Amino acid sequence: MNFFALCKGHPMNGLLTRTPRALTARTAGCYSATGRSIFLAMKLTAVILLAFSLHLAARTHSQSISFSGRDVSLKRAIAEIKKQTGFLVVYNKELIKNAQRVTVNVHNQPLTDFLDLVLENQQLSYSIKDNNILISYRPVSTSPFNRKPADPVDIPPISGIVREVDGPPLAGVNIQIKGANKGVITDADGRFTIDAPPDAILIISFVGFITREVPVAQGNINILLERESESLNQVVVVGYGTAKKATLTGSVTAIKGAELAKAPSINLSNSLAGRLPGLTAVTRSGEPGQDGSILRIRGSNTLNDNSPLVVVDGIPGRAMERIDPADIESITILKDASAAIYGARAANGVILVTTKRGLTGKPQLTVSLNQGWASPTVIPKMADAATYAQMINEIKLYRQRDPLYTDEMIELYKNGSDPLRYPNTDWFKETFKPYSVQNYANVSVAGGSENVRYMFSVGTKFQDGTYRNSATNYSQVNFRSNIDAKLNKFIRVSFDLAGRQEKRNYPTRSSSVIYSSTLRGKPNVRAYWPNGLPGPDIERGENPVVLATSETGYDRDKTYVLESIGKIDIDIPWVKGLSITGNVSFDKAISNRKLWQKPWNLYYWDGQTLDADNQPVLNKGIRGFAEPRLTQSLMDGGRTMVNTLINYSTTISKEHNIKILAGAERIKGDTMTFSAFRRYFITAAADQLFAGGDLEKDNNGSASVNSRLNYFGRFNYNFSEKYLVEFVFRYDGSYIFPEGKRFGFFPGISLGWRISQEKFWQDHLSFIRDFKIRGSWGQTGNDRISPYQYLASYGFSGVAIFNESVENKALAELRIPNPNVTWEISNQSNIGFDAQFLNGRLSVTADYFSNLRTNILHFRNASVPATSGIVLPRENIGEVINKGFDFEVSYRGQAGALRYTVSVNGGHQKNKIKFWDETPGAPIYQQSTGHPMNSGLYYNATGIFKDQAAVDAYPHWDNARPGDVVFEDVNKDGQLNGLDRVRNDKTDLPTFSGGLSIDLQYRSFYLSVLMQGASGAIRNHYSFSGESGNYFDEDAIGRWTPDNINATKPRTWNYNEEYWMASPNSYWLRNNDYIRLKNVELGYTIPQSVNKRLGIKGSSVYVSGLNLLTFDKLTNWDPETSSSTPYPSSKVLNVGLNVTL
Amino acid sequence: MIALTVSCKKDLDTKPQDEFSDIDTWNDPALIEAFLNGIYRGIDNPADGGDGLLKAEFVDEMHDQWYSFFEFNNSLLTSDNLASWAHEDWNSLYNSIRSCNLFLEKIETAPLEDIIVDDKTLTERMTGEAVFLRAYFYHQLTSLYGGVPLVVKSYQLTDDFSVKRDTYADCIQFISDELDKAAALLPIVQSGGNSGRATRGAALALKSRTLLYAASALHANNPVFSGYSNPELLGYTDGNREQQWEAARDAAKAVIDMGTYGLFKANPATGDSIAQNLVDIFLTKNTEEDIFVRYYVAKSGENNLPLASGPNGYHLYGEDTPSGELVDDFEMADGTPFDWNDPTKATEPYRNRDPRFYAAILYEGVKFKPRPADVVILDPVGVIQVGTWQKWNSATNSMVEVQGLDSRRSPIEDFNGGYTGYYLRKFIDPAADGQFSGQDVPWRYIRYAEILLNYAEACIELNQDAEARIYLNMIRKRAGMPDIIESGNALKARYRNERRVELAFEDHRFYDVRRWLIAPEAYRQFSGVNVLYKLNPDKTTATIPEIKPIVVQNSAWVNKAYFFPVMRDEMNKNAMLIQNPDY
Repeated sequence: MNFFALCKGHPMNGLLTRTPRALTARTAGCYSATGRSIFLAMKLTAVILLAFSLHLAARTHSQSISFSGRDVSLKRAIAEIKKQTGFLVVYNKELIKNAQRVTVNVHNQPLTDFLDLVLENQQLSYSIKDNNILISYRPVSTSPFNRKPADPVDIPPISGIVREVDGPPLAGVNIQIKGANKGVITDADGRFTIDAPPDAILIISFVGFITREVPVAQGNINILLERESESLNQVVVVGYGTAKKATLTGSVTAIKGAELAKAPSINLSNSLAGRLPGLTAVTRSGEPGQDGSILRIRGSNTLNDNSPLVVVDGIPGRAMERIDPADIESITILKDASAAIYGARAANGVILVTTKRGLTGKPQLTVSLNQGWASPTVIPKMADAATYAQMINEIKLYRQRDPLYTDEMIELYKNGSDPLRYPNTDWFKETFKPYSVQNYANVSVAGGSENVRYMFSVGTKFQDGTYRNSATNYSQVNFRSNIDAKLNKFIRVSFDLAGRQEKRNYPTRSSSVIYSSTLRGKPNVRAYWPNGLPGPDIERGENPVVLATSETGYDRDKTYVLESIGKIDIDIPWVKGLSITGNVSFDKAISNRKLWQKPWNLYYWDGQTLDADNQPVLNKGIRGFAEPRLTQSLMDGGRTMVNTLINYSTTISKEHNIKILAGAERIKGDTMTFSAFRRYFITAAADQLFAGGDLEKDNNGSASVNSRLNYFGRFNYNFSEKYLVEFVFRYDGSYIFPEGKRFGFFPGISLGWRISQEKFWQDHLSFIRDFKIRGSWGQTGNDRISPYQYLASYGFSGVAIFNESVENKALAELRIPNPNVTWEISNQSNIGFDAQFLNGRLSVTADYFSNLRTNILHFRNASVPATSGIVLPRENIGEVINKGFDFEVSYRGQAGALRYTVSVNGGHQKNKIKFWDETPGAPIYQQSTGHPMNSGLYYNATGIFKDQAAVDAYPHWDNARPGDVVFEDVNKDGQLNGLDRVRNDKTDLPTFSGGLSIDLQYRSFYLSVLMQGASGAIRNHYSFSGESGNYFDEDAIGRWTPDNINATKPRTWNYNEEYWMASPNSYWLRNNDYIRLKNVELGYTIPQSVNKRLGIKGSSVYVSGLNLLTFDKLTNWDPETSSSTPYPSSKVLNVGLNVTL
Repeated sequence: MIALTVSCKKDLDTKPQDEFSDIDTWNDPALIEAFLNGIYRGIDNPADGGDGLLKAEFVDEMHDQWYSFFEFNNSLLTSDNLASWAHEDWNSLYNSIRSCNLFLEKIETAPLEDIIVDDKTLTERMTGEAVFLRAYFYHQLTSLYGGVPLVVKSYQLTDDFSVKRDTYADCIQFISDELDKAAALLPIVQSGGNSGRATRGAALALKSRTLLYAASALHANNPVFSGYSNPELLGYTDGNREQQWEAARDAAKAVIDMGTYGLFKANPATGDSIAQNLVDIFLTKNTEEDIFVRYYVAKSGENNLPLASGPNGYHLYGEDTPSGELVDDFEMADGTPFDWNDPTKATEPYRNRDPRFYAAILYEGVKFKPRPADVVILDPVGVIQVGTWQKWNSATNSMVEVQGLDSRRSPIEDFNGGYTGYYLRKFIDPAADGQFSGQDVPWRYIRYAEILLNYAEACIELNQDAEARIYLNMIRKRAGMPDIIESGNALKARYRNERRVELAFEDHRFYDVRRWLIAPEAYRQFSGVNVLYKLNPDKTTATIPEIKPIVVQNSAWVNKAYFFPVMRDEMNKNAMLIQNPDY
């Protein structure tokens, strides 16, 4: 039996991992020392950078145009801009349909000059923001609408209309005068009027659209806003840089932080499900502080670790889960060979998280407050006391023993007339509360001038446990400061600092023990006595109503994380398009854990003795521990990353666009752990080490280091943004492998063809605004195995005791070396397309992929016989193929004042083991080669033996009896044994997952709905049921009994005493396909008139929810969980308020 | 960038911080010894708690309710499923054997100083230990599987791993020779900090056990497997059985003749509680009877017998409980057998029994130790209660039944209650509260009493009855039991019962019923008792309970279970292996 579950899985993903008690952290991918060599390297980098900066010279930023045309349409001339500069020119067709034709002849003319030239004499003006040129209406001075300001004190109001590009007017758009605390909002027809001086600049902003700055012209202004997500010019974060969506060739999906912030989940990873095609996110547990989702990009590809690489602001290996959603600008996932630039650890895909940075403008303070109520998504329904008593009698009956309960007793359990002696306890109701609170608040200030931009943010989170009198909760405070400064024309620096404190509080027994003792809780035993004292346990003092509280002590963990990056970015003045960037990052994590375990009291009644008041006389029992004991542990980890990037971009002959990136990067990390233990505290009053006894005190400690060195590069070429080529590579060295096998080269190539840029397309298929096909192939690596498999090594394993009581260290061989251990390689192929129809209202992206993982590091344990006695090292022997597709279709439209976006995404993948070391000789139907990884062997349950005749008529287990589960004699040899087990291809991870999101905006209201679903996974339905624990109602109702022999459910069983409980079989497998209302947000944007009165810029209130509805076939489990004793998953109802000052 | 590269390439040469390299390990005497210590940990620990801790549960000594024990005790073993067997097996033993092989290869070049301790150099002593340990593991392999591949080198990854099974005779010869070699290298006494390490006596005693097993009927052209194509894997196919018994006898005698060992409290003084002496054999840390032992410290919980075997009325698990069959085999104090059909014996079955019964078994009404705080009010004395009390409730004018605290209908964790009505007393330190900690009582793998019994058995098989009786009666005397005077088959029967009782729960019976080919008798059923304190006609409750034997669970024997199967996976991995019969 499992004794004391002292240990908990540890939350410090990325930086630190924890092994229970012993605290021998061996942390692949962890952290690095501040050794001398790092500082040396930093110094050298700084010297090089400085050297460049001493030779700065003037360099022009302007793009230039060469063009000659006689009497060409304005459209044609404008198209040239796009072709030559890459700038996107946005305009309303109506606007330029009637424009005058132009004649120009320019050579290397600056862009602005060119624009001035072609727009001369047109009723049009332009504005440039980033890479966008917006052409808008400019009334000529003779316009009757124009009223010249005769007098500065009498400034006429400016009025205008805001429309969507190619679309209808927009209501609720925020119009603000730059530099003034003054703004208005557009009405239902998109119109606005604002008092503004003639030299003012209007800032036009609207959620979901690119913010524009428009200089005030006289009279009416027509403003066109372009949708953010639909912009082909949208910039997407990719490895070590950004890329224009239009010219992306890899399979890359991105989401804005604002979308993620809609989900009221305390853990960021739980906001991802259903949002990104190809990303599967499964929330296994709702336990505060431990509720991270399992993330898989395109499913599972290797027999080893399948988790993707998380890169936060360019730093690989940082944790994502606890980042404040308000700080997130975007999340990008790299699904195919485009990840090869992170080569070494990118085989499972890469998740790039980018935090927000300040924008030029007045400081803007945003306050966001959220209060939520979480409750379990599903609570098992257990048998009542009368049913339980009846079933216990059935156990006895089947074993020819006397029944334990008489019919009268069962009746008393049923009628509840004597709740003291014959209680009917609902243990889940006693242990779990109906809802628990959570809250989240964030305050951020962002703004900046031409030279300095900043973003400061502080946030707090709190999440209470779901137990009554819960000892479990999670709280966090975090801050982030991202500062960018422009030192001069050529040098930009930035400094980012983020920190947080994560506090995790738990009782001393794990959530799994608490859940299991709740499941086991006998309904005919009281949880509490009438006087409020806790009742008996199941065993080991395990009464869940006490275990969930602080009565047993506590297990507290405080983790501090500090992350910093300093960056310098230098444009090399004498080479146009060349820049050099240096990054130095230092991350630190410290974790303190304090496990204080003390005896607790439970109260027992002999079932008879009553006191004068007719109350039961209770006996106090001391349970759990003989005396208090304390374990304190410390983990300290650090990671340093230094890299240098060189970027060069140029355009040759106006058509050949070239971008080159080269870089080198070094990462070093280290961790140390230390722990101390004392017991024999004479009192529980002081929970500090000094108060512990001296006997059996203990301490421990360990450490690990890691180091990586990489060179990487990217080469982009496109011909007029029509034919696209990208080549990436990484040459990666990892400390995990032996010298000589240490470095791996990981290339990736991708090609794209924007067919829609071809003339024939534009002539015939112009209704498809944009169509691009993409293809990629690449190799990425995976080194997520225990390091040093190439070394023969030995480790301590327990003690051998000699001389009666003297502990002597015992050493064991850890493995025999594999001198050839090297990279696991992922060969990734992808083909896909991006298309936009209906003027960009409908967009479709789809990808098909095939990943062949070779060199998988696995054990040759299936062919090396045990007589060798060898502890095998990992060898590069496995091969797994994983194929599938993912897609996203989205449509945005408008019906009257209702604007809506509907988008569907999904991803399907199926993996198959091509080769691993499978024991030869197993029958075909049992072999795992050719089947998905981690599939299991199960007996086929084909029914229930209705009577003895049925048992006799079919091959059966030796002691089978009526009411037992029929196992199929698969190989028809007339007997049942291990050969009758069949491999089941399904595992606990879904093969398809997808989402449907609907966003509606009606005047000031908005509604955002995300339905999410997954299919193709199975889970086990299992419980401790029997004399040692209650049954699920599901198993009790309709079970086989001598009176119900045609049942489809087996007879009452006792724990795992029956063969069909002890041997994995299909009867207990459950399909956990589901669709759930993952996320809803209904909001109301408070009218500006109200805001004005309150003196604020903008505000909105909203109600949001998580996992509000679930459609599945399971009655007792949340479909995302896989454990038989999960911490309940949460559904959350949340109200929130956003205020901008 | 260049600087970054140059300064960093050597940074990739990291070293594991929590492991020791090959070179470090084999050049450091402390680590070499630590490695040897690790091999000791490979010896099966029967006391570590959890399911199926004692081998007693796999034969008619103890009952365990879980289904997998039902499977095992009904001979439902297959090459896919060893049921609950959680002791040493093919894989774990070969793992340990590799460690021995590696150690023996490495120690040849290890830089050890030739310090003489206990008359032996460090190299001799440690080599001797490794040779002994390897022989110990091979002894366990042959006892379960018959002849097995004799692997005496440490494989590298590139080696060919296919091996064939050596014959049973070759294996026994190998083990015997190795133990002779170990005996020569090992000191007679490992003193001070080394006490608990293998000694010359341990090597000779293991040789005695090995040769005794080998001489037994199971391995002597056993008719049970007459149709099996490879009898040489299961036993001797030729050879002189008398010679084998002589070898077994001589091996036991060699230990006796060392003069190093004696029985603990061999001649009880008048006024001694013999039962207490017998308890103390197992609770005392170091006795003259110990030949090869394992020590424990309480905090590690590696000896968890108090929790696993203790009664539920003490908040303990009571998972494995002595069987009625074993209890009934304890003789009466006068040396006559116990008999349920004898009314006087059956009325008070726990009176006047062999003192070893009281030292080994907890039974209805025996005082054990104080109850935990919450239970003490129900039983202030601390008496084992497995029965039911019929009591008169004058308030309701009806009879109520009160269930014993250690019964399966106890108010305390009833589902942890045992089925047989008995709990384990032997090896259990009453001072250890199993709820909260383990105990530090040593486990005796080999004790002198076994050697005396081994010697007596060989003598009996060689018709040297008088010699056998001398040694048998030494043990009887220590136990306060009258001498055995029988001869011939009657003596053999008394001997076998004596061995069963003296070595109860000590992992012997499992092998004995197999090598004597009496398994069909041993795997029939598990019995227990129903204990009822009846309501007297005068409405008082009887003080002497009615105790009736009951069958708790059926067992069944199938001959294939004389040997373990080689697992299907292993067969598949090594084409040269031959499976044991009927698997």
